[in-house]
This record gives sequence, structure tokens and C-alpha cells, in this order.
Amino acid sequence: MLLSTGRDLTAQVLPPRSAFVNFPMGNPFGHPQDVETQRAILFATLRLAETAQKGGTLVDLDHEWDEDFATALD
Amino acid sequence: MEPIRYVDRLNEHYRSQGFPAYKWVVHEGAPLTPLGKPLAECTVSMLTSGGISRSDAEPWNPNARNDFRLDAIEVSAPSDDFQIHDAYYDHRDADEDLNCVFPIDRLRELAQAGVIGGIAPRLWSGFMGRIYKRRAVLEEEAPALARELEKDKVDLFVLVPA
Repeated sequence: MLLSTGRDLTAQVLPPRSAFVNFPMGNPFGHPQDVETQRAILFATLRLAETAQKGGTLVDLDHEWDEDFATALD
Repeated sequence: MEPIRYVDRLNEHYRSQGFPAYKWVVHEGAPLTPLGKPLAECTVSMLTSGGISRSDAEPWNPNARNDFRLDAIEVSAPSDDFQIHDAYYDHRDADEDLNCVFPIDRLRELAQAGVIGGIAPRLWSGFMGRIYKRRAVLEEEAPALARELEKDKVDLFVLVPA
């Protein structure tokens, strides 16, 4: 399984099972010491192994980052 | 907020630098190997491509290009005994808590709680930086890693780009 912070890139490459989280690069599992969010995102990614029915499954996780963020190119 | 359109942004960036248009990998579908057993019986390993190494190992080249170095990370490695060298993303949070990009503590907790069957003896750090040698990845480097995963009897492999 892949955990992605770049939805468009992942949708192009289409690995067998991916989860997308709309967090900044560098924080795919969330903030420092936010144990609960880190664990929830890891578990959601692992769960795809049981739930994905076809290759190329891309699931959007519903976690939201607390503020708008930019890319490293900005 | 809407997901960032990295492909558009990178195309624009390359064009502004005077590079020819980048040929992205585009796949229409992907194979799926059924799991065949419950998560609670699976051996899991994980790979980060975020320029992460143990404190006593060589730092990664933060501007690496076509670097096929691959570090095996001992499963019991303490999460505060790592260093990150990668110019391609902001790793200040991950410097403070490795679990932001490479959640080894969380993986150990899931194993301890019986959510997963166990963790493989080796986790991995590699494929860091920019890699333009697509054929080398597909035909050599990725299959070589897959053989190592087979040695460790890995059922599930979690890939985490930074």
C-alpha cells in the first residue's frame, strides 16, 4: 500500500492500493506527537489490504490539515 | 482546501527552468494480489523515501539524483535515533517526531495490540531524491528489494513517500 500526499501524481501512477491524505509533504501521518492521528492514518492505510477489491484503488482519507499549505516549490 | 496539483506545478516549474516537458508515468490500471489472510496474521514492513537514516549511519545526500542506496532499518530502532537529510520537503516536524513520516512507533503499537500479525525484522529507507532511471527501478532495484521482502516473509509493504 502507498500513503500519498500528492493525489494527482498517485492517480496517474495508480499503484495497486493507495490512500491519499490532504496533508503537506513531510507530514503524511500528521503533526509531531499526535499519536492518535498518526495511528489512525497508518491503520487506514493497512486496512486497504483487506478492503480494496481491485487494482488501482485510491481511497481519500477524511483527515483535514488545520491550515492551508503550499508546496516546496513555493 | 483542494489537493495541490503537483503535476501542473512541476510542469510549470520545469518549463520556467527551460527543461523539455517531463514524461510522467501514467498507468490505466494496476494488478491486485489478494491478501489471502486477515491483517491480524500479516507480517508488515515499511519503506520511507524521505532521506532518513540512523544517527550512526551516513547522512543521505539532500539533493540526491539517481541514488539507489537502500538502508535496512532494524525493527527495534528507537524513533529518536535518526537523522533526515532531504532538500525536497520540509522535515522540521519529522526531525522532532519521526512518526510524522515514518511511523515506526505506531507500527509497533499496532503489532503489540494484535491489529497486525507482526513486523518484519527489517524496515527500509531508500529511493530518496529524484530518480530518473525508470527502467533501473522497474527491472533491477525494485525486484531486488522484493527479494529481500520475500526473505523476511513480508505479507504487506507500506510505501511512504515523504
